Amino acid sequence: MYSRKDQRNLTRTEKKRLVDAILELKRSGRYDEFVTMHRQYYVTDAEGRPRAAHMSPSFFPWHRRYLLEFEEALQAVDPTVSIPYWDWTRDNTPAASLWAEDFLGGNGRSGDRQVMTGPFAYRQGNWRVSGGATDGRFLTRNFGRPSAPVDLPTAADVDRAMGDPVYDAAPWNSLSTTGFRNRIEGWGISGTRRVANHNQVHLWIGGSMAGAGSPDDPVFWLHHAYMDLLWARWQSAHPRSGYQPGSRLPDDDPQRDHVFAGDAPLPPWDETPSQLLDHTGVYEYV
Amino acid sequence: MDPTAAASGEAAGGRGPVRRAVLRTAFTATVIAGTGGALAPVLLRGPGAGAPEERGAPEPERFWERYRGREIRGTATVMVPAGGQSRAGEAASVAGVPDVEVRVDGRPLHVMRRADGSYLSTVNHYESFPTLLATARAAVDEIGTSQLSTASPHTN
Repeated sequence: MYSRKDQRNLTRTEKKRLVDAILELKRSGRYDEFVTMHRQYYVTDAEGRPRAAHMSPSFFPWHRRYLLEFEEALQAVDPTVSIPYWDWTRDNTPAASLWAEDFLGGNGRSGDRQVMTGPFAYRQGNWRVSGGATDGRFLTRNFGRPSAPVDLPTAADVDRAMGDPVYDAAPWNSLSTTGFRNRIEGWGISGTRRVANHNQVHLWIGGSMAGAGSPDDPVFWLHHAYMDLLWARWQSAHPRSGYQPGSRLPDDDPQRDHVFAGDAPLPPWDETPSQLLDHTGVYEYV
Repeated sequence: MDPTAAASGEAAGGRGPVRRAVLRTAFTATVIAGTGGALAPVLLRGPGAGAPEERGAPEPERFWERYRGREIRGTATVMVPAGGQSRAGEAASVAGVPDVEVRVDGRPLHVMRRADGSYLSTVNHYESFPTLLATARAAVDEIGTSQLSTASPHTN
């Protein structure tokens, strides 16, 4: 049992140990395997094949298991570290300590969006990205996307999602207009609502985080730890609301073979959403 | 530079590979006579950049333009089962997935679709766009002065 802390409360030493462990995974090649894995499981809801990670009810359990594997890799380097969470409703400016020189570094520069500060700046020599859409090997960010401005979601945005007592709902994809899952995953829906919460944060950071290589930016893990915390908090707020769909969808449901019910093993771990519902006993949020 | 100046349904003519057998047909047309294979390519064309953007209802498109100093171009070629019938629900959208090609300064932008027919790209993975043109412009906005990677997308 270990703690996942709010990144704003980390000591200077805790930040350094975490950064050093991440850099070691990068050096060994392990980090880039995680980036590749995230690309592999990015399946859209027009593709007609199983979707474990996105546009799907198993968005939360898949990413919980993914973070656990990453955290295990970190702890093999340094047993004292864990993935902190970033509450972006609170630390919601580029001036937040998250983006300081001693932690994740700051925004990308104008032009090529290259991050120039902090331990993940290309010029430090320790961080060459592998999964990006552009040919540069440097980490990129584009805070707030000035070309089409986007803000970070607010506490009120999160509260609205948390208030939905249903975990997920038909059509069980990026077009689900109700249910906690897609309100947090945050797909924009034509004529109904704009990009929100989880997706909106990917857009606000921009650069690497907006694209196919989003885990190239270490903030990915802190963002998803917060998503994981919100899932746990939602469960506590709605103790009678279970994971949906609880069992395999009926024969005539077009999503039957494309989404993972509570008892369906999630690749690549072969663990079911039901087995991943409860994190207590493994870690706690403090 | 006016980013929309060169965009129209005709703009691809004389620029790059010209497809002469342009079939003016509805997006849902499915039967192509005389094709031996299982799939028949149908190049579709749209009204160009002047059309209103309808989220979730992408128009068949073909465009070329300069946008923020970058050359962007795109075509949608719909692969349809020859003589096949659309099935209900998600299967229908899968049957109609177009073989799309979008390039920024000559480099391919890998494009995917959502269940509502809108497009995503490797540059914008968390937001979708109603047209290929909007997808290409958003990619240019996001990458700044960088060039797209020449590596194949989603290779393992």
